[in-house]
Amino acid sequence: MRSFSDYLRSIDDASFLELFTARPDLITPVPPDISSLSVRACSAPSLARAIDSLNQWQFQVLEAAGTLNEPFSVKSLVALTHKAATSALEHLIAIGLVYPSNDGMRLPSQLRDLIGNEPAGLGPSSMVKLKLADLDNAPADAKKVLERLIWGPPRGSVGDIKNPGPGVAWLLERKFLVPLDQRTVILPREVGLYLRGGKTHKEMFIAAPTLSGVKRDERQVNRAAIANISTVLRWVEELLNFWAEEPADALRAGGLGVRDLKIIATHLGLEESCTAFIVELAYLASLISIDPTNRIMPSNKFDIWLMQTPSDRWQAIASAWLITSRVSGLVGRAEAKNVAALGPELDRVNATRVRALTLSILTENESLSPDSKSFNELLAWRAPVRRNSSSQEELATWTLREAEWLGITGQGAISKYGVRFLNGDELDLINSDLPKTVDHILIQSDNTAIAPGPLEHEISQQLAIMAEIESRGGATVYRFSEATIRRALDHGKTGDEIRSFLKKTSKTPMPQPLEYLITDVAKKHGKLRVGNTSSFIRCEDTSLISQIMLDKKLDILSLRRIAPEVVVCDHDATELVRLLRESGYLPAVESANGLMLMGARANRALTKPRPPRVIGEIEIPSEDSLNSAIRAIRTGEKSTNKQTRLRQVANEALGALPRSTANETMDLVNRFIIEEKSLSIGYADNNGSVTHRIIDPIRVSAGSLIARDHATGEVQSFRIPRITGVAPI
Amino acid sequence: MTDGPLIVQSDKTLLLDIDHPLSTECRRAIAPFAELERSPEHIHTYRLTPLGLWNARAAGHDAEQVIDTLIEYSRYAVPHSILIDVAETMSRYGRLRLEADPVYGLILVTTDTAVLEEVIRARKIAPLLGARIDAETIAVLPSQRGAIKQSLLRLGWPAEDFAGYVDGQAHPIDLVQKDWTIRPYQELAAEGFWHGGSGVVVLPCGAGKTIVGAAAMAHAKATTLILVTNTIAARQWREELLHRTTLNEDEIGEYSGAKKEIRPVTIATYQVMTKKKNGVYAHLDLFDTHDWGLIIYDEVHLLPAPIFRFTADIQSRRRLGLTATLVREDGMEGEVFSLIGPKRYDVPWKEIESQGYIAPAECIEVRVNLTDEERLLYATAEPENRYRTCATTRTKRIVAEALVKKHAGEQILVIGQYIDQLDELSETLGVPLIKGDTPIKEREILFNKFRSGEITCLVVSKVANFSIDLPDATIAIQVSGAFGSRQEEAQRLGRILRPKSDGRTAKFYSVISRDTIDQDFAQNRQRFLAEQGYSYKIIDADDVFQGKI
Repeated sequence: MRSFSDYLRSIDDASFLELFTARPDLITPVPPDISSLSVRACSAPSLARAIDSLNQWQFQVLEAAGTLNEPFSVKSLVALTHKAATSALEHLIAIGLVYPSNDGMRLPSQLRDLIGNEPAGLGPSSMVKLKLADLDNAPADAKKVLERLIWGPPRGSVGDIKNPGPGVAWLLERKFLVPLDQRTVILPREVGLYLRGGKTHKEMFIAAPTLSGVKRDERQVNRAAIANISTVLRWVEELLNFWAEEPADALRAGGLGVRDLKIIATHLGLEESCTAFIVELAYLASLISIDPTNRIMPSNKFDIWLMQTPSDRWQAIASAWLITSRVSGLVGRAEAKNVAALGPELDRVNATRVRALTLSILTENESLSPDSKSFNELLAWRAPVRRNSSSQEELATWTLREAEWLGITGQGAISKYGVRFLNGDELDLINSDLPKTVDHILIQSDNTAIAPGPLEHEISQQLAIMAEIESRGGATVYRFSEATIRRALDHGKTGDEIRSFLKKTSKTPMPQPLEYLITDVAKKHGKLRVGNTSSFIRCEDTSLISQIMLDKKLDILSLRRIAPEVVVCDHDATELVRLLRESGYLPAVESANGLMLMGARANRALTKPRPPRVIGEIEIPSEDSLNSAIRAIRTGEKSTNKQTRLRQVANEALGALPRSTANETMDLVNRFIIEEKSLSIGYADNNGSVTHRIIDPIRVSAGSLIARDHATGEVQSFRIPRITGVAPI
Repeated sequence: MTDGPLIVQSDKTLLLDIDHPLSTECRRAIAPFAELERSPEHIHTYRLTPLGLWNARAAGHDAEQVIDTLIEYSRYAVPHSILIDVAETMSRYGRLRLEADPVYGLILVTTDTAVLEEVIRARKIAPLLGARIDAETIAVLPSQRGAIKQSLLRLGWPAEDFAGYVDGQAHPIDLVQKDWTIRPYQELAAEGFWHGGSGVVVLPCGAGKTIVGAAAMAHAKATTLILVTNTIAARQWREELLHRTTLNEDEIGEYSGAKKEIRPVTIATYQVMTKKKNGVYAHLDLFDTHDWGLIIYDEVHLLPAPIFRFTADIQSRRRLGLTATLVREDGMEGEVFSLIGPKRYDVPWKEIESQGYIAPAECIEVRVNLTDEERLLYATAEPENRYRTCATTRTKRIVAEALVKKHAGEQILVIGQYIDQLDELSETLGVPLIKGDTPIKEREILFNKFRSGEITCLVVSKVANFSIDLPDATIAIQVSGAFGSRQEEAQRLGRILRPKSDGRTAKFYSVISRDTIDQDFAQNRQRFLAEQGYSYKIIDADDVFQGKI
């Protein structure tokens, strides 16, 4: 047993379970058999993902393993690092980054490419035996050179290799430095290790750095969190109500324009960054939809959402946020172009991973509001960054900020609601902990009304029509003015209705000036009438107008007489003229004017909401699906074995070119690379004719197999898709 | 969830439920750092502003106390961002201090070198500085003490001024409490000022700001310069000081358009101080002629810009600002803070009213329907004349007359902006008129007759907006005003707020033309009063004629 696929064939279900839990991409989709699984597990993207999941210590151990020649023993690894490496190694084995073969530990092929040629800053092994003890007596000049190279990178440049300085010359002579080309020298691995005192790393980061910050009182944390929860729900609702009245226009390139974002920010009284977050939340939770005419409006789901309990409403937006790969923190950032909320440029591959990691750090440190420096240190240990390195700290900072806005944290520390939410527990206690809604307001003589707590939904809807919100928070301050009363009248309320609603709702007597204001505005409202119509008939002769109104043949026009001499009609003027003429009248057409649409309407998009998809991360499957995946692979494996055997029998009988499936090919190639044995392959040339080659495989790189061709004796690259089959000789 | 009286809003306003049992206690606790924005009948609104928080720092409160107070009284959780903001803002005050130095005269000292580095690089500040003494200290040109405080405030790093004050030339002054006693709040205000060194005392009109000034003088016991708005006010200060203090007639001088006396206590008007002769302010050296120990600014919200400029140069003298409102229509609150000083005392109008020191008042807006002819005239008026057109309609005059008739026998002031309108009113009512060109002598005669009850009604222009003590006026009828000026409304109301001998409620009528900009301006002005807790009513002119009120 020497190849990775052999190893996979040897492990039990429990080990598979662990492997797939750590690397769900291996069974997405479920591979047909173990060879395919092995190929996938050894592919660069999958290995990179697995490496990303390591903490700094585990990565150091992996790097140390990378400096050893295969196969290596656990003992030699521990010697290079620390005795704690054994447990880290167990983890590396569990997730398939190191595997035990019958002669020692090995790394999956390709893994070395990912750790780099110079793991832990150590150069390649020396080709010759070195007298390392001589290093202790190196002259000062040479020591100076070594100082520079000891902790990597192991390369140094020299003026001219033919004419080196005394230190370099001393080292070159003893092969403690090896020339790479005219100007570059490299420090062999053995020398580096010797100088490092036999350890691969200067400092072993075995334990996570401790997180420091401010200890918060649990009660205060939860109070702050529940306030945040109620606030974020209010923000979302207000945003959508705003767009229901006045839908925003999406940019042609997709997303919400800066101007529209500013308008909402002003309306909500928030910073633009927070506004962008709220907008994205609504989008993620399918509460808004962009219709085909590019208008951004609440979706039908918004109405359903409004009917739900606060905990359900919160869960809907918080869960969408938890799994999204979109990063609202990027909004407004001038990168190549302005990044817009709701736009197509907000996806970041590692967003979900960093978010989950950030939240889990918070959860592990209850009632602690971490300070950012210490938090970033811990983050860097938990996820030593290699991929998308620049954004990790930023993403974490944004996550902390957003978690606070959402109420997952309060005063920077995880709240009990956050803990329950992340565990997937019931959130009913949100409903009971939210401040009790109030059913009354206090009207004051300066034409303001104050709701001393969150208002009941019905009342706040009504008030929002009659008054302008002046201040938001735990309480709401409304201001009445001529314009707001007029708006209420426009919405079809009468002066009496407004008065009686306010009298009923207010705990305090209605001040006289407000009453006067309402009466005054109601009296004036509607003196001027405005309406829509398509065409009109006017005539000085009122009896002719009366005749038209009574004419049975014209009933179809549903004419309306708005003045003794004027009749309006919803039909088009041409149509009207035609019908009048048919009925024996002699109308003449007046020049027409464009008409305007009036009146506010709560709009809903006609299209179904299309929430953004999640990219980047693959969800960890449930145990059931993991088990069924394992079963499927096992079954597939059995049948593949049978097929392979049958095909081999056939091949031998016919003496034909080797044939194997793509996965078998890779599996065999990988195995033969490790075993350093010759292979027989079928290889298609540019014209598609297949030739038989005998090769010694060296490595697989960028879709090609690098191998020495026995026929030519040269190292050549073979494109893997062109290999029709491989067979051992 | 506690059930506190305070709701902290995310926009930094604080809502105080005054019907709550803890409301008085809470008001006391938040008053030092939050500015009262409005105080109508049920919920008072305070606001957290940088100036307010710095005022609190100046008074010795720290961020911890402020945050604890907010959390203690808050009904709901206090938004985290506000707590952070409070701590951040308050920490900015006092990182820079101005101190006196025996060698360099005046120095700017910091506890945070980064801040010092930031400010000395500012373009506006660099020219005011002298030599760098060490990492934490830099010399300041002594003449620029005011200018540097102004500029630092604008940068958001207000400096604490520990450079001290000169004592000025000593002069014995004491209060003489024979037929009166100082009210507790006046004493607190004077003490608050004295301990703070310099600053502003905010008291409602009619609450006896003059006495606070006199008490401050009694603390200082030094020569004093008093700056007031006009000559009448100057004479009233003089009367008050003669009555309330040990000062005699020879010790008090008047420096106005009419007289130019300089005495140990000199009362000067803003007008004369800002008068230009050949392009220069001819009288500003009054500040320097004497070694003043105290300078009092009456009606500090009206302080004209040249006085600010000069005040910047006399930062080593104690300064007391007196006002009914810190609201400035020109938004120069920051200048008052940096040049005169932080707010040292403040009490809501209603609180003093409830203690019986000022008369309760009722504000009534009378809406007048314009005639069709007047409406047409208004609709076609040029924009710049529109207010005048609607503010001076004949219909208004008729209503004003009806109101005067209705309150016949009471002491009535008819106040207006436009002289033509006032001339007409004075004529039809048969009542004397006091306007800008009425000689001072005649004005005094008329005011005295009004005080004695010899005449019961006066028509006055805006000259009577300030500092005219007419204790028995119970009715004011305002026929036109300076557009939407809130502080004018407050001042005019102040004319009738002196406590009445019979405890009667004062009435303040505003006659307004319906559906014109007059109504819009009136709304803006009244908002201020409604926010101060004055109830007001709107009635139709017909109600006046039918005697319904």
